[in-house]
Amino acid sequence: MPSNNKQRLRRGAIAAAVVAVAAAIPAAQASSHREAPLIAADPAVDNTDVYAFTSPDRPDTVTLVANWFGLQEPNGGPNYYPWATDARYDVNVDADGDAVPDKTFRFTFSTDDRRGKANTFLYNNGPVTSINDDNLLFRQNYDLELIEPGKTTKLVKGGRAAPSNTGPASFPNFGAIRDQATTKIPGGGQVYAGPSEDSFFLDLRVFDLLYGGNLKEVNQDTLMGYNVNTIAIQVPKTMLALKGDPKRNPVIGVWSDTERRTLKLDPGKATPQGNFVQVSRLGNPLVNEVVSSAPLKDAFNGLEPVNDAKVQALLDRVNDPELARLIQTIYGIPAPKTPRADLVEIFLTGITTKAGGPIKADLNSQLNNADVDPKRFQPSEMLRLNMSTPVSKNPNRLGVLGGDLQGFPNGRRLTDDVVDIEIQAVVGAALTGKLVPALAKGDRVNANDVRFGDRFPYVGLPSNRAVNSR
Amino acid sequence: MWKVLPLLAALFAVAACASPQAATPAATQTSSLQRNAESLQAKLRRTPEDAAAWAGLGVTQVELARVTFDPQHYARAEKALTESLRLKPEGNGEAYIGRGALANARHDFAAAREWGRRAATVLPDNAAAQGVLVDALTQLGDDAGASVALQRMLDLRPGVASFTRAAYHFELRGRLDEARGALERALETASSPDEAEFCRLHLDKLAGRTDESVETTRQLAARASSPEHLVRYGKALDEAGQPVEARAQFDLALQQLRALGGDDLTAALIAADHGDPAEALRYAEKEWGKRQSVFTADALAWALHVNGRSAEAVPYSDRAVSLGWRDPDVLRHREAILGSLR
Repeated sequence: MPSNNKQRLRRGAIAAAVVAVAAAIPAAQASSHREAPLIAADPAVDNTDVYAFTSPDRPDTVTLVANWFGLQEPNGGPNYYPWATDARYDVNVDADGDAVPDKTFRFTFSTDDRRGKANTFLYNNGPVTSINDDNLLFRQNYDLELIEPGKTTKLVKGGRAAPSNTGPASFPNFGAIRDQATTKIPGGGQVYAGPSEDSFFLDLRVFDLLYGGNLKEVNQDTLMGYNVNTIAIQVPKTMLALKGDPKRNPVIGVWSDTERRTLKLDPGKATPQGNFVQVSRLGNPLVNEVVSSAPLKDAFNGLEPVNDAKVQALLDRVNDPELARLIQTIYGIPAPKTPRADLVEIFLTGITTKAGGPIKADLNSQLNNADVDPKRFQPSEMLRLNMSTPVSKNPNRLGVLGGDLQGFPNGRRLTDDVVDIEIQAVVGAALTGKLVPALAKGDRVNANDVRFGDRFPYVGLPSNRAVNSR
Repeated sequence: MWKVLPLLAALFAVAACASPQAATPAATQTSSLQRNAESLQAKLRRTPEDAAAWAGLGVTQVELARVTFDPQHYARAEKALTESLRLKPEGNGEAYIGRGALANARHDFAAAREWGRRAATVLPDNAAAQGVLVDALTQLGDDAGASVALQRMLDLRPGVASFTRAAYHFELRGRLDEARGALERALETASSPDEAEFCRLHLDKLAGRTDESVETTRQLAARASSPEHLVRYGKALDEAGQPVEARAQFDLALQQLRALGGDDLTAALIAADHGDPAEALRYAEKEWGKRQSVFTADALAWALHVNGRSAEAVPYSDRAVSLGWRDPDVLRHREAILGSLR
């Protein structure tokens, strides 16, 4: 180790004596087999949920919400939950149905860590009453780019991400901080990047039980009190619709993904910097639980929607979901006949009469956009929203299956009970138009514990109480 | 030695108060691995037939053994993986990964390679399956195979697990700037205190800024009685003129290595440095018979040298540095071997 030796020499005469002694003593043998972490979680880049809905208070706009970094304990110091700085956080929109993004909102973060200067490891050095408060020592900023074919536009430069909510003493009014972190973008939109209370509500145990038990133990919101990192974007519908015309082309597909830069072991003369690799992806909720399987899950996270239709294992799982067969075994509810063209509509094409599917409705497929070339349409897994569906006065948590066309799977609102909806869909409710009574109660978690806001970014303020203190 | 553990735990508690920088994360955050194990156990109480959850628990126990140096986790891993494979004997990729990780931890690298291959067949896009292969192939001396698996792992999942392995890959090839860069990226990606600590430790080693004082190494050994920490403490004691106390630490290190699944390579090196040349050579030859890697080449070279067979040691010493590895101990061995022939 030449550099090591040099340093030793710099230390002067004493070093020589140390080296002489070193020859007489044993080596640090254990370092010859270095045991590095193997199963390292990477929550900072893991997508947890995506939402897309017409903004109830500004119905000419759409709000897209994407979450990462699930299961944040509000008291998770001293580093809390930063955004990764070697990653790209993308929210993608496909309006022409070719499964390639027409628009990507790309967020990249940088860290402004002032703790070293302040000689402390604390996140904040006293109460933080504004986003520029000197007491806030760990800060993150972001750039937002809008990427379109052949064109990249910077929408936000040096935007301030809201910090993690480190407690009531540190952040007496987190709402004010969040408002200050909400940034206008050119063309009449706004964005927010920062923590929020996890909008998703469900009993996670429902899947354990469906996969091998009974429904006795449900009704506990297993995500209650946890926070996530949220990116929320609100933009005019005209910005997202094909040809800027949401009247002729009201349907968009939405998904989020994260890319992290890899390393090249043999870069030749270049630096060992590799390409950006897609490490996580999310459109419809619970795809991994309801549709995917262990081998598929790994591939799916790296798969781009444009290639979905080429992955036979994915198509097979949608057409013949294991979950339906398990429910038949456990509850005696007959699994609908396969192949499940109804589920193909829900997950892969959008609900439409134009793809030969069994559901007699034209709701949310890009094929229903007037200017879409059906020959270029590619089935792919994404969340599809019909932006022309009017905002429901009284949203039904069961969305379309509950007779409320504005809800999931037509986009996804924060209040949609996607677990119950998807379980009903898997047992065939979209085919029959009737809910299956034996499963009607679902996981018995019907709403989020924190009230959603009436205005952007709608998501709940991040909790500042330890989960186990509730 | 287990009687010592309560004392070590007490020392750890003191260390946690005394040294905020090193100890704060561990003291304030429950280990995510421990939490993960507990949540899997809770899940398995509800649904004991869940083969994937048993496999996950097995892998987590192997990881816990790595972090805590408590060999009891191996028994728990073994039990969980056996149960997983009983429930799902075929195509159980997650359990194959666990078996491979356990075999690597116990230094049964040939078995680990087999489990890694089986895992990668069932789960071709899984980064951990590639990780099992990287570790096994590196130790077996299949450096080209290890590189292929590592690049695949990096491309599947750039993150702590692949970046730390990339750092080791670069280090073994003497590419220290790149090793440092990979560790810095790993540190940035680390999501748990133990991962971050691993990265900092190896960054310090690369920079030659580890503190080898008796007090610091004593605290380290007290916090986590890893063989490596015990050896460092022993070295410090030796330098401070306390050979008897030093010897006790080396013995403890050896014992701990055996409990954790150490192999003959380590035993060879300790024997060589403790004045039992015949035993050192016996161990080194046995391990070389199993795997011809830069590690076993170094051990065999050193064992031959302490037996007065320095000329025979040269080709093995050449092999040890053939990739570009510039480990201080390997270089020390090499200088002694070449020096004795001048």
